Amino acid sequence: MLRIRFHGRGGQGIKTASQILGSAAFLSEFRAQDFPLYGAERRGAPIVASTRIDRKNVMERGAIYHPDLVLVGDESLIGDPVAAPLSGTDSSTLIFINSTHRPEDLRDHFKLFSLPVSADLTRLCELHLKRGNVLSTALAAAAARLTGLISLEALLQAVDMELGESGLGREIREKNQTLAGEVFNSMDGGTLVEKERTPEPAAAFLDMKQEEVSRAAPLVLTPGNMALRKTGNWRMERPEINYEDCNACWICFVRCPDGAMGIGTDGKPVIDYEHCKGCLICAEECPKHAIHFTREVSAWV
Amino acid sequence: MTTDTIPIKKIKEINRDELVAPGTPLCAGCGGLEALRLAQKELGENVLFTNAAGCFTLLSVYPFTPFRGSWLYTSMSSPAAAAQGIRDALDVRMDKRGLDRSEDMQVMVIAGDGSTYDMGLSPTSAAIHRGLDFIYFCYDNEGYGNTGFQLSAASPLGSATQTAPPTRLHPSGTEAGKKDLFSIWAAHHPPYIATVSPREPLDLINKVRKAQALKGPRLFISLAPCPTGWGFDPRQMHLIAKLAVDTGIFPLKEYEGGTVVHTRVPRKRQPVETYLELQKRFRHLFVPEKREDIIAAIQKSVDDYWGPYE
Repeated sequence: MLRIRFHGRGGQGIKTASQILGSAAFLSEFRAQDFPLYGAERRGAPIVASTRIDRKNVMERGAIYHPDLVLVGDESLIGDPVAAPLSGTDSSTLIFINSTHRPEDLRDHFKLFSLPVSADLTRLCELHLKRGNVLSTALAAAAARLTGLISLEALLQAVDMELGESGLGREIREKNQTLAGEVFNSMDGGTLVEKERTPEPAAAFLDMKQEEVSRAAPLVLTPGNMALRKTGNWRMERPEINYEDCNACWICFVRCPDGAMGIGTDGKPVIDYEHCKGCLICAEECPKHAIHFTREVSAWV
Repeated sequence: MTTDTIPIKKIKEINRDELVAPGTPLCAGCGGLEALRLAQKELGENVLFTNAAGCFTLLSVYPFTPFRGSWLYTSMSSPAAAAQGIRDALDVRMDKRGLDRSEDMQVMVIAGDGSTYDMGLSPTSAAIHRGLDFIYFCYDNEGYGNTGFQLSAASPLGSATQTAPPTRLHPSGTEAGKKDLFSIWAAHHPPYIATVSPREPLDLINKVRKAQALKGPRLFISLAPCPTGWGFDPRQMHLIAKLAVDTGIFPLKEYEGGTVVHTRVPRKRQPVETYLELQKRFRHLFVPEKREDIIAAIQKSVDDYWGPYE
């Protein structure tokens, strides 16, 4: 059995990627299972989706703890302890990272066991779909190629099926197919070897003992400490203010839902990049068009 | 009875303090968060919150809170009942336990439309009837957003939700119109009710200012454009909110002293299509073929609403 895990952010199409891969495996005469794992749906927050592929019926259930292949849609997740996309990986796990960096640099920066595979899928999505943050098709194509088990034909059919099911029209499905083909053909295939693993054990039941009230219903005593949580790495695009054009009208300050637009001592707005989630409302709303945005290319410069 | 508060006229008069701290794990471009943030700027620090289960559950994730005041989490049905308990506790402590009156706080319910229109309506009705001194703030994103966007009583005619998708037998998706909660509340004759929009910060803040000067149940419904559930690019949140007002779909109004006043009357209402076509939840009205019949029914419901006022 191959166990494949996709990591990305809400809105990037991570769940759809796992579905496309599952269907492509099925069309290649495998048995497949795909499912997402997330709590409350929210854009930008870390999301995991998984696909299991086997020649026999897939009886294993639950989260994948020791994946054979991990695909990371957003490299800024690698340093995120909540997302932890590399958890359960070892030297035998193949890691794919959507990044502009070279595999060697990614290995050294993130201290990986082995050389990952990397490709700039965001650029390709931008090129074909005009949407750099919709990675579903591109990630599924990369996964399909890396498993070495799936034909291009099955992949293209799966893209058409899955995207059709979510209501996308013919034209956009065809663009996705072109994208899938380009990703598939640009990568070396068949590098993944099926390994025999013992089935993953079910998690044991936890015996929850009654805690005293001070532990069971704890208090938060620091007002506004939510600001300690940094949501800046949710951002896929980075707004930047061109201060020469800014007339300090404060529209961006008023319209920012997260309160991530402060006002500096000179009365001009200042972006709080530690918290800005990259919704780009400021860029959209600025009457002087003084806020432009660029792609957040990587987790480090 | 009407209130005389001095309204603000300029954006620069808005409080610069962020009373809802950044860092919350709500979606990027959340319309509800923007409305709450603006309301808080006017309400200030002395607010105690009771929060019904919903998207805003995520506002406070232990051990973090974005608020200055305390936050009590309740089931979807009981934020108004919890508000009564908090109000009573404050009153008892001031009357009998020596709590200084200067330490009194406003009690505020924060609840989504699932709680407000559906499960929590009965306790809220009772709280209004009892004349509970509280503020009720409903962020209305027209569906159960936190669980994947299922149908609520606030979901509008023709919108697709997880539990009311368009099908061959039910081509419009949601078949019922949105429940007229404003009128239900108004039938209780509370001191103040208002609808607000994140796109209209001055209107929103002035309404909160007015409510703050009053006692008793003061109720708000804020349209909360939802990029995730409605299917639009987060950057268009304010555009969607603007079109909701400009098309007349979401009327901005207030109820005070038995009368309803519209605070923003669209000069020339835009066709509802301009609002619908930007959102994925209405896409089935445009592709594969345009459903003129359903769009006309939506337009008619808006025309019928505005007829008596135009």
